Amino acid sequence: MRKGSSCAARYHKIQMLRCFRIVTALVLGLAAASAWEDPHKKDVGDKNLALRTPEAIAAGGALFASACAGCHGRKGEGGRGPRLNEGYTIQGAPDDRLFSSIKNGVKGTSMPPFDLPEIQIRELLGFVRNLSAPAAEAPAPGNAEAGSALFYGKAGCGGCHSIRGRGGSLGPDLTNVGAERSLLRLRATIMAPRLLPSGDYRGARLTLKSGKTLEGVLRSATNYEYQLQSADGNLHRLAAEDLKEVVYREGPVMPSFANRLSATEIDDILSFLARQTVRPRVSD
Amino acid sequence: MRAIALILAAAAALTAQVRYEDIVKGPGVNWLTYMGDYGGQRHSPLTQITPANVANMSPKWTYHVPGANHLEATPLVYDGVMYMTDANQIHAIDARSGRRIWVYRDGAVKRQSPNRGAALLGNKVFFLTSDCHLVALDRRTGALLWSKEYASLEKDGHFATMAPLALKDRVIVGVGGGDGGIRGVVIALSAETGDELWRFWTVPAKGEPGSETWSEFPLEYGGGATWMNGTYDAQTNTVYWAAGNPWPDQFGKPRRGDNLYTCSMLALDGATGKLKWYFQFTPHDTHDWDAQSIPVLVDLPWKGTTRKVLLHANRNGFFYLLDRVTGEFLSGTPFIDKLNWASGIDAKGRPIELPNIEPTPAGRYICPSLRGASNWMSPAFNPQTGLLYVPTLEQCDVYTVSETVPEPKKEIMGGGSEPHNGLPGKFYLRAIDPLTGKRKWEYPMTGGAESWAGAVSTAGGVIFFGDDDGQMVAVDAKSGHHLWHYTMGQNITASPIVFSVDGKQYVSIAAAADVYTFGLFEPAKPTPLVPTRTGN
Repeated sequence: MRKGSSCAARYHKIQMLRCFRIVTALVLGLAAASAWEDPHKKDVGDKNLALRTPEAIAAGGALFASACAGCHGRKGEGGRGPRLNEGYTIQGAPDDRLFSSIKNGVKGTSMPPFDLPEIQIRELLGFVRNLSAPAAEAPAPGNAEAGSALFYGKAGCGGCHSIRGRGGSLGPDLTNVGAERSLLRLRATIMAPRLLPSGDYRGARLTLKSGKTLEGVLRSATNYEYQLQSADGNLHRLAAEDLKEVVYREGPVMPSFANRLSATEIDDILSFLARQTVRPRVSD
Repeated sequence: MRAIALILAAAAALTAQVRYEDIVKGPGVNWLTYMGDYGGQRHSPLTQITPANVANMSPKWTYHVPGANHLEATPLVYDGVMYMTDANQIHAIDARSGRRIWVYRDGAVKRQSPNRGAALLGNKVFFLTSDCHLVALDRRTGALLWSKEYASLEKDGHFATMAPLALKDRVIVGVGGGDGGIRGVVIALSAETGDELWRFWTVPAKGEPGSETWSEFPLEYGGGATWMNGTYDAQTNTVYWAAGNPWPDQFGKPRRGDNLYTCSMLALDGATGKLKWYFQFTPHDTHDWDAQSIPVLVDLPWKGTTRKVLLHANRNGFFYLLDRVTGEFLSGTPFIDKLNWASGIDAKGRPIELPNIEPTPAGRYICPSLRGASNWMSPAFNPQTGLLYVPTLEQCDVYTVSETVPEPKKEIMGGGSEPHNGLPGKFYLRAIDPLTGKRKWEYPMTGGAESWAGAVSTAGGVIFFGDDDGQMVAVDAKSGHHLWHYTMGQNITASPIVFSVDGKQYVSIAAAADVYTFGLFEPAKPTPLVPTRTGN
């Protein structure tokens, strides 16, 4: 309730600002007026229109639920309108293009124009950007310390993944995963891992003509040669002519954790992963 | 499954590591440092490819580095895996086939400088990001172990382009930025943790010895960058590192004096970083003749006794022979035909300067050019012929100066230079007898004087080098006669290496955007498909 009323009060304030803006615009010209009107402008610059403070994201989320979710899905997962929580269409689009799509609509589609005050469009952008933001930039969903204990303990992630040299090597290194993956993508991978389109890290058992067997993940494979990494981290370079058989593992090496961990535990691990960046996070 | 896991665990214990002792031994099957060995000789003992069969050399594979247009790295090879770098990225490649095994990129770096390569030690591979982070990765998997900032791009204008130099337990690094008013430094970092062990500033602090050679110039902008990696004598635990030019490059008036330790060779104690000796090639330089060409360490008979010497084909046009234990000057001889700024080198090793050599606002005609008679492109030394093979540029420039002190950290040199009459110079590969400084032979190149390519020597008697026209060329080490060439269709800005996998000798070189690998011709072998299935 408190949230709702403060939102209403905020809206009222924006309306007042809007009236003032029209008057001021007549006097000072539009550019000067919008600079005065917008308290965030000096921080974000013209190209970064999305407002990314927790308050702005929350306000944008409330507006999204009422104005956008009908077509784009409650969590931006898409529906009548395109998916907004990941993918090149959204992540590759600059703020000013998205701003214009909301303000003016998109011709030739069913996306209508939204006659909203600039600040609300920017809050919407903040919310939408946050859906696909690198995990390191998003609010943590759980407890990172608990997540660390799970990662190297009960959940067993560290058996295959390493972070700053600690952990196994059958899965991708996760030292920079917080900067490279969104929470959404990380969660999806933990719940339902998939084979990588590149073929990297595909589980395989290679039987040599000598009778020797090697097991691990493929880092590269062609019809002529294989580069296999075993659980000890060592690399084996093999020529096709020396191989008797290659058995690919069915599905990804990584198991699903949907039924192995509780929702809280997964949130904790996500929070831990979100902290993993090679360079310090902006918030650190 | 369990049995296999046990077998694999046992195998891991036996896994070979890149041992310091192996790096000391020098190249063989592997190519473990930027220059192959610690001494900078760039000489491979492999003999499979010879003047008699090099005509059969053919391309084996090409590896494209996505986004690259100016590759400057010398690849490393260990146990059949090649490590190749470019700005803020490193690739592990199967050296038999050119297949990528892994790639590591640091996408957060705001600067994209050229990168000259990696260093190997134990199970680690090291390289430097453009903003001076020493990055340590597991060489087998590409997993990041740590990334440590050793100098600041933002605060001090330092950046990195070199390949780090890994010693027994430490990694030696330097900084670029000498054309923008920085203070150069050589730093040793722990190979285990990246923690700093020592540092040596190439421009002394106020009151320290050498500071009196700067008049009143602010020493924190003096220059003396350390942007190229040095060489190392394991016997005496001495690191040889070149210091770059003083700043502002062409404007010498505000920094009267010799400007120590710019344009110098530094002999640093590997354990402590203490200066053992220095030798300044170009006191009070005003032509950007930093001392960055590779200091080559060899033992040679000098006047009846074997001396540990250092060979250096300096940018200023003189070839130097120094005693590398004491720093004593032994000889200095021009290795270019056109040299008009000094009449020679005196008994103590100081150039005998001619009058009126400093750049003027209207322009001063000086040879060699600003790019120097040679530069960071690698020379090679062949112990069998006793010759040093030096990529050499004959070019004269008109040097100008802007007589105001430029603002530091803006990468402004305080002047300019251009080829005299707009005519670019000409590149040669010159074979120099280090004992006399005399030229044994030379091989002229065609091209626009834009090469940054070096050479490699082999015990098979063949010298390979990248020329000024996008070609890799093989010549006879003794005579300089052409034996083989291959056109890569792009400029070469790196030096070749020699290695062997599964008993086959290869030669690799990076051109602008790709790594090329060559070997003796073998007919293709039809490869039957391996039976594959999916199952658990």
